[in-house]
Amino acid sequence: MTMPVVLPAERAVPAAPSVLSRVLAHRGLTLGLVMVGGVVLIALLAPLLAPYDPYDQDLTRRLIPPVWHDKGSWLNPLGTDNLGRDYLSRVLYGARISLLIGASVMVISGAIGATLGLVAGYFGGRVDMVASLIITTRLAMPVVLVALAVVATIGGSLTIVILTLGFLKWDRFAVVMRSATQQVRSLDYVTAAEAAGASRLRVLVGEILPNVVPHLIVVATVEAGSAILLEAALSFLGLGVQPPLPSWGLMIAEAKTFMFFSFWLIAIPGAALALLVLGINLVGDGLRDVFAPDGRS
Amino acid sequence: MKHVAMTLAAAAALAATPALADKKDGTVRFAYDQVLENIDPFFNNVRLGVMMTQHVWDTLIYRDPVTNEYKPYLATAWKWLDDRTLELELRQGIKFHNGEEFDADDVVYTLNYVSDPANKATAQQNISWIEKAEKVEKFKVRIRARRNFPAAIEYLASAIPIHPNEYYAKAGPKGMNEKPVGSGPFKVTEHVVGKIIRLERNADYWKGSPKSVPNVARVEIRMIPDRQTQVAEMLSGGLDLIMNVPVEQAQQLKAAPHLSVTSGGTMRIVFVLFNAGENAPNPALKDVRVRRAIAHAIDKETMAKQLVGEGVRVINSICFPAQFGCTDEGVPRYAYDPAKAKALLAEAGFANGIDLEFFGYRERQQTEAMVNYLRAVGVRANLKFMQYAAMRDQHRGNKVPASHQTWGSFNIMDTSASTSAYFKGIDDDMIKDPEIVALLQKGDTTVDPAVRKDAYKKALTLISERAYAVPLYALTTYYVLNKDLDFKAHADEMPRFWEMKWK
Repeated sequence: MTMPVVLPAERAVPAAPSVLSRVLAHRGLTLGLVMVGGVVLIALLAPLLAPYDPYDQDLTRRLIPPVWHDKGSWLNPLGTDNLGRDYLSRVLYGARISLLIGASVMVISGAIGATLGLVAGYFGGRVDMVASLIITTRLAMPVVLVALAVVATIGGSLTIVILTLGFLKWDRFAVVMRSATQQVRSLDYVTAAEAAGASRLRVLVGEILPNVVPHLIVVATVEAGSAILLEAALSFLGLGVQPPLPSWGLMIAEAKTFMFFSFWLIAIPGAALALLVLGINLVGDGLRDVFAPDGRS
Repeated sequence: MKHVAMTLAAAAALAATPALADKKDGTVRFAYDQVLENIDPFFNNVRLGVMMTQHVWDTLIYRDPVTNEYKPYLATAWKWLDDRTLELELRQGIKFHNGEEFDADDVVYTLNYVSDPANKATAQQNISWIEKAEKVEKFKVRIRARRNFPAAIEYLASAIPIHPNEYYAKAGPKGMNEKPVGSGPFKVTEHVVGKIIRLERNADYWKGSPKSVPNVARVEIRMIPDRQTQVAEMLSGGLDLIMNVPVEQAQQLKAAPHLSVTSGGTMRIVFVLFNAGENAPNPALKDVRVRRAIAHAIDKETMAKQLVGEGVRVINSICFPAQFGCTDEGVPRYAYDPAKAKALLAEAGFANGIDLEFFGYRERQQTEAMVNYLRAVGVRANLKFMQYAAMRDQHRGNKVPASHQTWGSFNIMDTSASTSAYFKGIDDDMIKDPEIVALLQKGDTTVDPAVRKDAYKKALTLISERAYAVPLYALTTYYVLNKDLDFKAHADEMPRFWEMKWK
């Protein structure tokens, strides 16, 4: 993972118009934004787009193949699953769950990680020592294993998955924010603010935070993508989101039984998941190029 | 369909070599999806355990799977001395796998050990009727029942195998699990709990036994919880027999040139069980209207036809129709009627629906179909899917509000083995309705068949009236097998490896 942890001292945040033009000039970023934007639109408009209720089962119409198959029809463009639920509707609604998880985990872990990183980077000394200890402890724990253990003990549900991942995935935020803050805190404008008698909180929130936000955004996108994948993995193992919620990971898990004979059941949510995570990663990479091109390796 | 054909062709090519090698050494490789916690027949209540009982051990009496006639087995003759005392003459010259000789001491020790509640046998309903066993002579024993127990012969023929007393006294259920010793047609050569059981033909098995000396030299039983892995192994020739295959997969696997598919009805009844006891984990279920609403919400006819397959039998009471005392005559029925279900919920004060933890352990597709039916009427079911032993322990620990249960009655053809197992105030009965307990007690312990039938009928009617459970159907099981394997499906859901041979 190449993460920009060093903020070049001489570079301030670029002015707004040049950011927009740089975003548009960056093909990967534009493509990523289109992909993520598309999924966001699908999630928002799912009730309008979906031909059926994603939970409605019709046991007399099970395992109908998608429209391009000899036996498919436009009645169910992506076919039906093993309980006769419309697959297109489930995939569309599944976007909501993935995005909800991605966004919520990003916010929770971002809040924890960014606070810890800011405080450690700004105050240094003993505070930094304690914070670094916490970060190292967290880094020593394998996320998937701990998440599995927690979810297996408490039981899986959407809320528990979000909270578990949120409280586990803040490490990268903390590491990046800590080093970025360390760079910024010795800059002249921070010293000036301190000399002018600004409170510590004001310096942290008013002077330092705005200047490290670009890093935060880059980490946040990458973490959102990874949270979505983790949810899919947990659900696949039967420990994440519980049926009948249309989570893509869960759909892949349930389709596993039909892998040999109805491969589309596994391929369709798999492709949706891959597209969304690819889109998010393209956005993350692109934003890094735009905000901190010198940190590129 | 091209893809399927290609997959199958590839699989067939792979299969050719291993299948040939196996026929030579006579191993039948079988997989089962439920894990067996303890191979000792008294310390588990799962189907694989029932299979092991018949393969590794012998019972005192034998019931013919076709005619249902009782035949001499370890006991050569038996008679009731009075309503509660059964005297049995024992067969001479039988040896256990470890060389121990079979006699009255083995019967006495086994029955007295497992029927002592202090020893905590898992399937109490199979043995709690035994008060004690006494040796009369070296080859003659008497079994005394706690109360009249007319179904005793049926139990002795199905679920009560005999252990070698000297070995069992030393090893106990734990040692028996690690190194099982019986007198049956197969010896266990290896048992890794939760993984594999290897059986080897007992070449010294007595010739006149109603079970034959096995044709195949070895059987390998692997516990593979993942259905897809089983299917992949069948396609690639790594397994010779699997069972409980979902109907649509069985039909698709038929297309593979080296496989064949057969199906058979079973005694296994499927039902939703509620915990409506005093300390019910979900208090909403204490209201009979909520339970009735759930009964109205599930379309069992469609589930049976679409998810179970041919030969399925819809049931309307909590027992298998061919069991003695089982009836659905006059038992209230709940037709599929989502509107009525919603109305009942609203009447009970749950117009906005209820949240419900719903447990399941096999045929997940059926559990999920039920979850969706419940959701449609406003019961937000949260699925908890696990291994049977885990679910059973949580159920007995009063933590399961509602569950998708299946019960094979240990192949015992008597209602005391089905309805009573769940509603007689023992083990799995979390409701303990005194009226029903009394009726089942009467049914289980009265000698007069007419009185028994009447008691069971009343109990079944009350269970249904109070909607303590929702009877669904008796399962059909689909077997997928190597087409060179000579295999006959019996109605009791038990593959008999001693009958099988390679064509």
